[in-house]
Amino acid sequence: MKQDVLLQMTDICKSFPGVKALDHVSLTLRPGTVHALMGENGAGKSTLMKCLFGIYRKDEGTILLEGKEVNFKNSKEAMENGVSMVHQELNQALKRNVMDNLWLGRYPKTAGIVINERKMYEDTMKLFKELEINVDPREIMGNLPVSKRQMVEIAKAVSYNSKVIVFDEPTSSLTEEEVDHLFRIINMLRDRGCGIIYISHKMAEILRISDDVTVMRDGKWIATRPASELDTATIIKLMVGRELSQQFPPKTNHPGEVSLEVEHLTAQYSALKDVSFTARKGEILGIAGLDGSGRTELLENIFGTATRHDGTIKLGGQVVPNKNARQSIKSGFALLTEERRATGIFGIRNIRDNTVISSLGKHLHAHLWLNEKSMEKDTDWAIASMQIKTPSQDTKIRSLSGGNQQKVILGRWLLTDPKVLLLDEPTRGIDVGAKYEIYQLIIDLANKGATILMVSSEMPELLGICDRILVMSGGRLAGEVDARTATQEEIMTLAAKYV
Amino acid sequence: MKNPISRKVEYYKTLDAKDRRSFWIDGLLNNAIYIILVIFLIYTATRNSRLLSWAALVNLITLVAANLPMALGIGGCIILTGTDLSAGRVVGLSAALSAALLQGASTVNKYFEGLGEPGLGMVFLVLLIAMVIGGIVGLANGFFVARFQLHPFIVTLATQLIVYGGCLIFYNSNGNNGQPISGLSQVFRTFVTGSILPPIFGQTIPNYVLYAIIVFILMWFIWNKTTFGKNMFAVGSNPEAANVSGVNVFLTTTLVHTLAGITYGYTGFIDAARIMSNTASTGQNYESDAIAACVIGGVSFVGGTGTVGGVLLGVVLLRVIYVCLNYLSVDPNLQYIVKGAIILLACSIDMRKYLARK
Amino acid sequence: MKIKKILALLLACVMVFALAACSSGTDATEAPTTAATEAAGGEETAGAEETEATTPTAGTARVGVFYYAFSDAFIASVRDALDTALTGAGIDYQNFDANNSQATQNESITTALTDGYNILLVNLVDTASTDAASQIIEQAAAAGAQVVFFNRAVEGTDNEGVVLNAYDTVAFVGTDAPEAGHLQGQMIGNYLVENFDTVDLNGDGQISYAMFMGQVGNVEALYRTQYSVEDALVVLEENGYGSADEPALVYFDPNNTESYQADPNGAWSAGAATEYMQTNLSQYNEANGNMIELIICNNDNMAEGAIAALQAAGYNNGEGSTTIPVFGVDATESAKALIAAGTMTGTVEQSATGMADALLGMVQNIASGSTMDDAVTAVAASNADLYSVSEAVPNKLYVAYSAYTG
Repeated sequence: MKQDVLLQMTDICKSFPGVKALDHVSLTLRPGTVHALMGENGAGKSTLMKCLFGIYRKDEGTILLEGKEVNFKNSKEAMENGVSMVHQELNQALKRNVMDNLWLGRYPKTAGIVINERKMYEDTMKLFKELEINVDPREIMGNLPVSKRQMVEIAKAVSYNSKVIVFDEPTSSLTEEEVDHLFRIINMLRDRGCGIIYISHKMAEILRISDDVTVMRDGKWIATRPASELDTATIIKLMVGRELSQQFPPKTNHPGEVSLEVEHLTAQYSALKDVSFTARKGEILGIAGLDGSGRTELLENIFGTATRHDGTIKLGGQVVPNKNARQSIKSGFALLTEERRATGIFGIRNIRDNTVISSLGKHLHAHLWLNEKSMEKDTDWAIASMQIKTPSQDTKIRSLSGGNQQKVILGRWLLTDPKVLLLDEPTRGIDVGAKYEIYQLIIDLANKGATILMVSSEMPELLGICDRILVMSGGRLAGEVDARTATQEEIMTLAAKYV
Repeated sequence: MKNPISRKVEYYKTLDAKDRRSFWIDGLLNNAIYIILVIFLIYTATRNSRLLSWAALVNLITLVAANLPMALGIGGCIILTGTDLSAGRVVGLSAALSAALLQGASTVNKYFEGLGEPGLGMVFLVLLIAMVIGGIVGLANGFFVARFQLHPFIVTLATQLIVYGGCLIFYNSNGNNGQPISGLSQVFRTFVTGSILPPIFGQTIPNYVLYAIIVFILMWFIWNKTTFGKNMFAVGSNPEAANVSGVNVFLTTTLVHTLAGITYGYTGFIDAARIMSNTASTGQNYESDAIAACVIGGVSFVGGTGTVGGVLLGVVLLRVIYVCLNYLSVDPNLQYIVKGAIILLACSIDMRKYLARK
Repeated sequence: MKIKKILALLLACVMVFALAACSSGTDATEAPTTAATEAAGGEETAGAEETEATTPTAGTARVGVFYYAFSDAFIASVRDALDTALTGAGIDYQNFDANNSQATQNESITTALTDGYNILLVNLVDTASTDAASQIIEQAAAAGAQVVFFNRAVEGTDNEGVVLNAYDTVAFVGTDAPEAGHLQGQMIGNYLVENFDTVDLNGDGQISYAMFMGQVGNVEALYRTQYSVEDALVVLEENGYGSADEPALVYFDPNNTESYQADPNGAWSAGAATEYMQTNLSQYNEANGNMIELIICNNDNMAEGAIAALQAAGYNNGEGSTTIPVFGVDATESAKALIAAGTMTGTVEQSATGMADALLGMVQNIASGSTMDDAVTAVAASNADLYSVSEAVPNKLYVAYSAYTG
């Protein structure tokens, strides 16, 4: 094992309005090693990598590559200097073939203009042989399974003679065998003296492949230790070691009788499989799990915006159809979506339009015209009770902060008098103060007898305001814990059950 | 509560020099369409004082009235981030039908031989038929757009061809040999171009101006006061969010196109009597002016935004350009260039509002 | 669910309507097949009567008729007459619509040639240059087919013969493009000489006229626009009205150097004329003492559009209202009706059946093996009142125009 340093990131800081995303984070990568980077969702791993690749401009700190300071402006420049990344979400031209993707932007040319297809093919074959990749260079990218596409991405990194290769969650969609192949390639790269940064949630993999492990939490560096000194329990403790502070309002709600029963819910087009549970009136039921564990899909299937394959949903003992959003709203459901911008707000419309859209029926006179006064009244109610900070009802919603937008959407749903509220990451991208207000609103709703299902990636939040927590893993229900007694470690262990 | 102007003044006082500059620039650009309109009118009036007569004003109003309903219909499609290329051909078809059904009894080359002199009831019936025919085409447009997620551009391109084919067949059937359909009955012509109002400042105002006002009010009501209107803006702004919020996206999309089709049917009915001579090329390219008017008036292709007042403004601007260029006796070749430049300018200014600022 | 069903039902209705419309409209396209089967028996009776030429061997002729636009009213009447004539003669033919696009027409022609059509009757779209015509002739010659252009001019008067004299596989049947303009001009001149004082509303000794042009860049439109005024002025001067310095006929808008207003879509449409005329009337009217006193249009459709605007302003409504004379070209049925009613003054008639009969004669002569020049001569001889051969170009057959004033 060589002791010299390949990549040295020192005291990297990055702030976004209202958030300190990176706070003096350092990372040292030695050549010929695999360095695992770990942390919860939002711990700052991706931000750190984006600073390395110039996607974000760092506020402070230095990056040294083989002793020389570098400041890449974009990932192309980084690649040309031997630093490349295999993304979690592959950015590929799916309609083009493999070799087009591989040599994109640097096609071999004859006489400076004509693309030399033959050379491109031969180079590709040589590269694939070296890496033991079995893919036809002329195959259309979109026809390949994700694992093969990932291999192409790795080959691309190798073809740039990369010294540093970053893998971002590379195994999230791979089978056991494919993972073995990936690890063979990673080992081969390591033996050549490359430095690998490996980002993953999967403990077993980390312990198997990595030499060093760096743990981050809340944008801060927590620890860097040799993998040989670590076990799963230690890593989890490092990852979630944050103290639960007084960031939650007092829990005053009291679950009553069972209201929502979900039986054998299976999705048509996603991995969600055979999920059954019940929830009570006045209960806040948390849903935990890693990204891609099927939490969002569960809510979408209950609400009918995703196609159900099988299973029944009962509310107060009655089966409800919930085949689409309209039926679900009619039967008393509401869904606050995860992607506020994409599926929540009507950015270009004002707050009033955004507030009343789901409850227009209430304002209808003679089945014909909408009563402006009563819509204004409802909007005033929403603004007052949600404490939405806005100059007026006529302000366009997109000019509000994320927290206030979320409150408008919450207000929209409360105006439909829902019996079951499905909340998907209700506090994502919202500053701490607004988060507290939203927690208070959720608890108040439960107090009024609503059943609340809340998906969140932030475990402290779930532990802080939920009564019970369901843990999803690989599309299935991995277990259920009591929020008052459970620990983050317990939830993490369950979340990794079917990964 | 202070009045908006004094609030603006106070706000202005808080700005530094640089912000004050951009305050003025933004103000100018955001109101550029009004400014263009006024400049155009003032310039033309200085060159040709006849522009400042009642006759000129009434002429402008009637031109606007003829073009407005269709622009309002197409506006709905644009709010849904779509468009409608079938508009002109639907006008052509409904004009043909209206004219053929409402020819005078003594007309020599009558399309429907058996029909006698139509009465007022028949005129209303034909208006209904025209709107239903337009509505059916619109319904088909909307159905294909909503059901198969096809872009309206391609759907309406296709229906436009189908309707045109139907129109050609119509003109060549019943022994008409593709002859223009005219010789319209007096009751039809009076209904559309006659005047129930007393002359104002010596100018008669044709009835279709009144009808256009009614259409305008109806459309204003539909866009602003009905569930359908709110849903239309929601779907145009964010169809995913609309679906989650319980809006029936399919139904809304279909109805928007149907409503648009109805306005084309109406326009065809009016134009049959306004122009009096109807051929298969009647209505050709009408949609391009209507789409331009909408976009000039702030109905953005971004979707989810636009007002009936804006559409009116857009139509007025285009007609002002037309009238002014004629009053200025501008070379016809140059007229194309001026019109094109103004459309481009107006739309760029409109889009500027939606560009992401970094 | 209910809504879906209703939608499905409505759609089905639309389909049924569309199919019904199609079946009623297929008469023309089905004609070739029926015509072909009738050919054996029908040709001696129907065909022989049409021309006294040699025995027609129409059975070997496959005729493609390429119209510039089905939507054009005059073309539609030619099509109707030609369909009747060709079907009656038992000739196998097929119609094509270029929908006002030369590109579409060229594609149809290329396809038809590969399909074995050997006589092409072409109603050219692009009349502004001779290239389109030359290209079609050469393409057809290469495939052993012969071309008869009709209706729309392939060459102007200043370059007469450049196309038609250059090939022996081509002929032209049409009108002498300037003739319509000349006839219209003479008709206007004569009318004004007789009614000068009535027409001259403000009594200033000058007639102020408006001119509506169908399409910028179209040869026929240009000639009509030019000669209608020039010839009218000649007639007026001969009769003592106006002089070269002080013409009796002036364009209503002194600032418009072009002296015409053209359909912005080039569609010769009534709508364009209505909107122009309405706008013109808002500043040129009797109240201002500068009323437009005469309207000249490139075709009847625009004339009718102009009349619509006049009627809305209280003119041309028959007895008790002032009538502004409006002149067109084409003599469409509706224009004739307007002339009969006194709301329109005159038009220039172009005989659609005359055109169709000439084309049929050409087809039969060509099919029986005569040269183009001979075919033209034979057809011209069949009706000397209606047809004439161009003096400069022997393969150019003119169908006469005639003035129509009711």
